[in-house]
Amino acid sequence: MKATWTLPDGSTKTADVAEGTSLMEASVANNIPEIEGACGGCLSCATCHVFVDADWLGKVGDVEVFEDAMLDSTDVERTDASRLSCQIKMSADLDGICLTVPTA
Amino acid sequence: MTVWVPDDDGHADLSAHDSFERGVPHNTFARMRRDAPVCWTDYAQGQGFWSITRNADIARLNRQTDLLSSAQGIRIEDQTPEEVIARRTFQETDGKEHMATRIKVAKAFSKPVIAGFEDQIRELCVEILDDALPQGTFDATKLIARELPMRMLGRILGTPDEDLPWLVEKGDALIANTDPDFTDHVLDKMTTDEFRLMPFNSPAGAELYAYAKDLMARKNAAGDTNGILHLILQPGPDGSVISDAEFRNFFCLLVAAGNDTTRYSIAAGLQAMCHQPELLGQMQQGEIWNTAPDEIIRWATPALYFRRTAMRDFELHDQMIKQGDKVVYWFASGNRDEDAFDDPFRVDLARSPNKHLSFGQGGPHVCLGMWLARLEVRVLFEELSKRIKGIEAAGPHKFLRSNFVGGIKSLPVTVQLF
Repeated sequence: MKATWTLPDGSTKTADVAEGTSLMEASVANNIPEIEGACGGCLSCATCHVFVDADWLGKVGDVEVFEDAMLDSTDVERTDASRLSCQIKMSADLDGICLTVPTA
Repeated sequence: MTVWVPDDDGHADLSAHDSFERGVPHNTFARMRRDAPVCWTDYAQGQGFWSITRNADIARLNRQTDLLSSAQGIRIEDQTPEEVIARRTFQETDGKEHMATRIKVAKAFSKPVIAGFEDQIRELCVEILDDALPQGTFDATKLIARELPMRMLGRILGTPDEDLPWLVEKGDALIANTDPDFTDHVLDKMTTDEFRLMPFNSPAGAELYAYAKDLMARKNAAGDTNGILHLILQPGPDGSVISDAEFRNFFCLLVAAGNDTTRYSIAAGLQAMCHQPELLGQMQQGEIWNTAPDEIIRWATPALYFRRTAMRDFELHDQMIKQGDKVVYWFASGNRDEDAFDDPFRVDLARSPNKHLSFGQGGPHVCLGMWLARLEVRVLFEELSKRIKGIEAAGPHKFLRSNFVGGIKSLPVTVQLF
């Protein structure tokens, strides 16, 4: 399965992501800039913030209460498309998902 | 030139604070990473513990809080359940309970909010350096490294500047509770258990409790209710409120942990500049500021370890860890792991990626003050490198007597000004 990131410089990067792997872990493994994943996916930081492209937003599930609160701590201000990518696990439904790395 | 050379025989007793008095016993950690990545240490003053020393193992275990819990204590010293409750902060909680407290202050310590302090930090750095540098030869821990986080602490807590030296002295007595230079009540030499319900088992805890109470009364009377200390008292998203004891302990945590870690990061950076003269030139060229703070903080590793407790039996690298066993993540070792870093005993200000663990990365307890630490370190070294053309050691430096806090407590240097 694949995910594609639009990077701060406007280029895109596509990588293979195994089912069940979080998109934060996939970002770190592929050295996606600005995605640090400092807390390992435990909702204690906001360093894996992404914008989910509109076509995929309906498929990534709901934002839980703690994720919602942590999204107030992102570096680039949140929008309706904001998610912490540690909370999105790759699945057949998300094969081909497109994300944008926020940039100041 | 290689920076300081560890001189332990490869078999240092990690439970003994004396083993860290000449710096981290890195020969011992190197042996453990190679031959015994899950290694048992007996502990004369209580139950022994397992040491985890490889970077990848620490990073992988740190998030598994259902397997390795913080709720029974995060230091090697044993605590009774009564002591754990009395001395607890959100550091000693797991899962949703931890999140519910942390979320209240997360935004106040977030990258964009902290970035708003940059001008204030720069002003403080200029003041501090203008006082220290003209002295030529001086103790850089005392005059530079100690000053910046202390003065920033006042801005974060909203305390009067004249209170800060007292607060920091008490904070040091807590966190450096194993070094006779910082406390009259050296933890492993105390003959009383009178203070066991106080933070860090220290009588300074009682004084800080009283200060916090007065401070809040003064703030409330003045209508000043917007700071960090009021945020932590708000109900969380799930409606939970922290207890009085947890509030007082949170205050002590900010005063102690939020202060000495940045101090010792700055001190380690200054010490590295003395032994790797090329670092100053790299700073002056200015291309390394995105990566330099993390490398300096890797080099320093002020929190040498945190401890967890196994919630069930499990096997790791052929060792059987039993339910209830203490498991210690040695960040000091993970930050010198040859499998995670090229040339780990060299400071490389351009190092990227930098999988250091100084902030406890990879788990829910990742340092709350991470962005503040990075910003203070960057601005301090930016301003320093504009002002000097050289810095060298003016005598041997001294380490804190502690297996928990890695710090250079005195660092004589000579600087040459432009």
